[in-house]
Amino acid sequence: FITTIRSGLILLFYLVFYGFLAALFTFTMWVMLQTLSSDIPKYRDRISSPGLMISPKPDTALEFYFNKSDAQSYAEYVSTLRKFLESYDDSKQSQNINCTPGRIFDQNDVAVKKACRFNLSELGQCSGKEDKTFGYSKGTPCVLVKMNRIIGLKPEGEPRIQCTSKEEGMVEVNYFPPEGLIDLMYFPYYGKSLHAHYLQPLVAVQLAINSNSTKEEIAIECKILGSPNLKNEDERDKFLGRIAFKVQMTE
Amino acid sequence: LLQKKSNVYSVEIYGTKDLEKTETGDEEEKYKDLKGNNKKKKAEDLKKELDLEDHKLSTSELEEKYGTSTNKGLSSARAAEILARDGPNSLTPPKATPEIIKFLKQMVGGFSILLWIGAVFSWISFGIQLAQGSESPFDNLYLGVVLALVVILTGIFAYYQEAKSTNIMASFSKMIPQQALVIRDAEKKELSADQLVVGDIVEIKGGDRIPADIRLIFAQGCKVDNSSLTGESEPQSRSCDFTHENPLETRNIAFYSTTCVEGTATGIVINTGDRTVIGRIASLASGVGNEKTPIAIEIEHFVYLVAGVAISIGVLFFIISVSMQNKILDSIIFLIGIIVANVPEGLLATVTVSLSLTAKRMAKKNCLVKNLEAVETLGSTSIICSDKTGTLTQNRMTVAHLWFDNQIYSADTSEDQTTQPFDQSSPSWTALSKIVTLCNRAEFSPGQENLPIMKRVVVGDASETALLKFAEVILGDVMNIRARNKKVAEIPFNSTNKFQLSIHETDDPKDKRFLLVMKGAPERILERCSTIMINGKEEPLDSEKAEAFQTAYMELGGMGERVLGFCHLYLPENEFPDTYPFDTDSMNFPTSNLCFVGLLSMIDPPRSTVPDAVSKCRSAGIKVIMVTGDHPITAKAIAKSVGIISATSETVEDIAKRLNIPVEQVNRREATAAVVNGMELKDMSLQQLDEILCNHSEIVFARTSPQQKLIIVEGCQRQGAVVAVTGDGVNDSPALKKADIGIAMGIAGSDAAKNAADMVLLDDNFASIVTGVEEGRLIFDNLKKTIAYTLTKNIAELCPFLIYIIASIPMPIGTITILFIDLGTDIIPSVALAYEKAESDIMNRRPRNKRKDRLVNQQLAVYSYLQIGIMQSVGAFVTYFTVYAEQGFLPSTLLGVRVDWENNAINDFEDSYGQQWTKYQRMYLQWTGYTAFFVSITIQQVADLIIRKTRRNSIFQQGLFRNKVIWVGIFSQIGIALILTYGLGHVTALNFTPLRFQYWFVAVPFAILIWVYDEVRKLFIRRYPGSWWDKNMYY
Repeated sequence: FITTIRSGLILLFYLVFYGFLAALFTFTMWVMLQTLSSDIPKYRDRISSPGLMISPKPDTALEFYFNKSDAQSYAEYVSTLRKFLESYDDSKQSQNINCTPGRIFDQNDVAVKKACRFNLSELGQCSGKEDKTFGYSKGTPCVLVKMNRIIGLKPEGEPRIQCTSKEEGMVEVNYFPPEGLIDLMYFPYYGKSLHAHYLQPLVAVQLAINSNSTKEEIAIECKILGSPNLKNEDERDKFLGRIAFKVQMTE
Repeated sequence: LLQKKSNVYSVEIYGTKDLEKTETGDEEEKYKDLKGNNKKKKAEDLKKELDLEDHKLSTSELEEKYGTSTNKGLSSARAAEILARDGPNSLTPPKATPEIIKFLKQMVGGFSILLWIGAVFSWISFGIQLAQGSESPFDNLYLGVVLALVVILTGIFAYYQEAKSTNIMASFSKMIPQQALVIRDAEKKELSADQLVVGDIVEIKGGDRIPADIRLIFAQGCKVDNSSLTGESEPQSRSCDFTHENPLETRNIAFYSTTCVEGTATGIVINTGDRTVIGRIASLASGVGNEKTPIAIEIEHFVYLVAGVAISIGVLFFIISVSMQNKILDSIIFLIGIIVANVPEGLLATVTVSLSLTAKRMAKKNCLVKNLEAVETLGSTSIICSDKTGTLTQNRMTVAHLWFDNQIYSADTSEDQTTQPFDQSSPSWTALSKIVTLCNRAEFSPGQENLPIMKRVVVGDASETALLKFAEVILGDVMNIRARNKKVAEIPFNSTNKFQLSIHETDDPKDKRFLLVMKGAPERILERCSTIMINGKEEPLDSEKAEAFQTAYMELGGMGERVLGFCHLYLPENEFPDTYPFDTDSMNFPTSNLCFVGLLSMIDPPRSTVPDAVSKCRSAGIKVIMVTGDHPITAKAIAKSVGIISATSETVEDIAKRLNIPVEQVNRREATAAVVNGMELKDMSLQQLDEILCNHSEIVFARTSPQQKLIIVEGCQRQGAVVAVTGDGVNDSPALKKADIGIAMGIAGSDAAKNAADMVLLDDNFASIVTGVEEGRLIFDNLKKTIAYTLTKNIAELCPFLIYIIASIPMPIGTITILFIDLGTDIIPSVALAYEKAESDIMNRRPRNKRKDRLVNQQLAVYSYLQIGIMQSVGAFVTYFTVYAEQGFLPSTLLGVRVDWENNAINDFEDSYGQQWTKYQRMYLQWTGYTAFFVSITIQQVADLIIRKTRRNSIFQQGLFRNKVIWVGIFSQIGIALILTYGLGHVTALNFTPLRFQYWFVAVPFAILIWVYDEVRKLFIRRYPGSWWDKNMYY
């Protein structure tokens, strides 16, 4: 009986002790969260320059394998692209405005931040409107390249995406919009809560694979160029302003 | 067997790791068997071999037996043959463990095996990842290398520490090669003693060490000091006569390593090297098992505890991780993290450093520690078995009492006496002092005029030396007095006459009479007297005065003192003109009807510091037992004068005497003290011995043999006591070895004793043991603090892994970061705790109970792990969440993200504000999180360090600034953290990043809370001793 009391006492002690600690933890976390703004993070120094990413993103690393005559082999890529572009559909962009191209769209003084319209037609053959298979059935697969969203980022110069293949002559790259330009009017980004309808600009890269080069693995690297404040040569971060992927197409 | 013994030193500090335990467990059993058998066999050997016959043989029989000739000795060729057969005449030193084995032991002991497992797992996962062509396989390679380096470096460090303390001893055992005078090829030759062989004829003289066991064939006035063999301090005379069946008792054998005090002798070598009696005792010593030191047991217990926690938590979460469908590989890496977080990598090195710091401190106080762990053993000692001669006493005869004019006077017996305070005005004293001065053959060695009298070297036996120094202190320049009273005749002391006599001219130019002075055994002297001097006047010696003499004689003898009687006679001038031819052979002068002058009694007095030291031991709960080869009466007298037997306690015999009843009728329980004679001990059963050790608090063993000393030590150990034994002779070495801590005497000690001991008292002073006890107790307390300090942050290192797996948040702390805490910021502070002063008078409490008072007890572990450790974790997590939240990942976003977060292919990971992160950007943030977590633990460890300064007292009672080293520790801790964060923040492999300055302060409130909470804990402990709180919160 005494041991029960004793262990009960110990249990009670730890209950109180940990209860107090939990309360203290909650309280300090609450105080800390009160100091934060819900709009923008306190510091953004860890992401000074954006990374690049592509869509569709194959499961197994960044490698595309498909047979242009076998719809099943690229069905997943196509559906991913379709899903991704849903938010860019005109019907979803009704609240978005047409901004002045080529200029940073500064809205610092405005309480309600507007999002700029991104017309799917800009993506040309990769918009999925004319070719429902985004070129995969024709041996000219489309890959969308996008730049990571970073609050307050204002690119300088004329940022554009350029993709190159190490093996020359195997592939011809077409860009939509032309030259892979990223318009400055989509910057800066004001964050999820202020800029709810924001759509990041896309660049579609259409790879016209040389008919001689089928069955071969083609390594492609896309970089962001033309903007001095967007890094693309970081030694450690292989995705900072650049992205490398492989494509292998069979017939 | 020998190897096993010396291994113990190296293994213990690191404990034995659990995996090996099962193997060694069986092994140990075997060893025990072996040991037991061996010991028995050796003891039997010893007895059997001691039935040597050589002392019974005649010279010619001996010559025949050994093929030698007393005149010509052996031929060189024959000697070389025997040398080749028997080996050199030296004791085989205990076989040392090969250095490489010692080194490897350090590599696998303690936690090392856990870390090796971690390293191997890291390499395996590196291999697998490399084969899979993963992104960053080298992280695991590095981790494995770092873990291996940690083990190797701490191993090298421990090896170096151990080697250093062993080297101190190596310098001790260096001996000057001994020379011996040998007759070979009919020529006298000076040979190195180790070249002696059986059959050699050797010559020895006063001052020589006996080079081998020798059967004497010629002796003149030869006396040997057998104290190193039998413990008897009286020199014993040696002759060629066979006087006793027992070779140890017979006069015609001199033993190896004893010394010839005076006279000359020639003998045949009958045993050399390990076959000598001493050699056999020394090998008996090496057969005695060496017990694990208490601290080694404690550390082992602690290692098991921590390893157990590490392995069970590791395996538990490995299973959880696997069942959560994590990849096995990730789970293994996760397991490594848990092991690394749980194991205090730096702690064992810290313990070693703390112990060696204490060892250094003790060396300054004249306690040289051979085996580092012995530092603490002394602190847990509950019984000290002390030698008498040299340890408790000054090891020199000194005049203690005088009796003249029917009155007993006491003399000063302190070490540095310069005057004697007793009344010296009586003319009787003048007469007595003249006899003391003149009837004495001892002389100071020349060239010591500047030394204090007590320190001067004297040629002569112990009693005469005492008398000479006594006279020199009172009268000054004894040699001059002797020169002025020219000696004309002399009869030296011999055992038949039992007196010494000399005849002198007087220094009074008018007095032409000769003065005959005589000293000797009091009863013999009294027989020769017809008058007695009272106040300078000769009075007839009637029965009343003879009675007074008897009373005084008995009283002095009863104090264990050696009593000498003194008498004189002025020879009538008419009968003995100055040309009288004195002839000592025919004794043509009166040797009776002399005038009795007085008695002097001498004793080897206790050192002046000893009574105080004994009383300190007593208040520290340590029982002091005297074990001596000396006579019971002397032993008891010294025991009484130093307080081993306190003034009020009585032995059974005392009670019997007081109540005037036979000894058998005394209730043995009433007697607190006991004086046990070696002869009684011989007939006792073990139960009877245990009874004596249990029932009496004050015990003196007198007339004990080396084997009995061993039995006494074993008896004490059966009581569960931690036993310290002091000793100096070769005969003590088995007991020294058997004891939990053997303490050898640095000055008087033999090499065998020093070899067997764990500690050496440089000044041979018992009082030094007490300071050693104090240091030992202090280090035990301080090690508790160090361990509590070190264990605490293990929880703060472990929690991240558990939360990581349970809540699937990004990893809060890296494995390498943990190593930087354990082996970087925390090392100096944990050593600094070794400098902490005692909280209360540690010499006023009982020695720790080695079964109950553990180094790491439940309270310590629970308080460190479940209270302070958890508080630290909370503080560190607040910092972690703050860093992530301020960079855009609110806590709610972080939960459950682990899989995506760590996915290398996801480079547009969205934070709480809609921003997108690449993998590397996330990793960099994760490292910032590591750094923040690291900094928080460091900051809270500062608070932890401060609270660990005391266990019961308030920090403000202890003084925040008294231990300056603590502050060195705090500054080093913060300094190292600053360097790691800002200096090495750009080295990728280390996973540190520069941190915003404010993050250093997030955990400060928690640090303050830790301090306040601990102050409250201590307050309640002080306020309510014995309460529930005290029982559960005091470690």
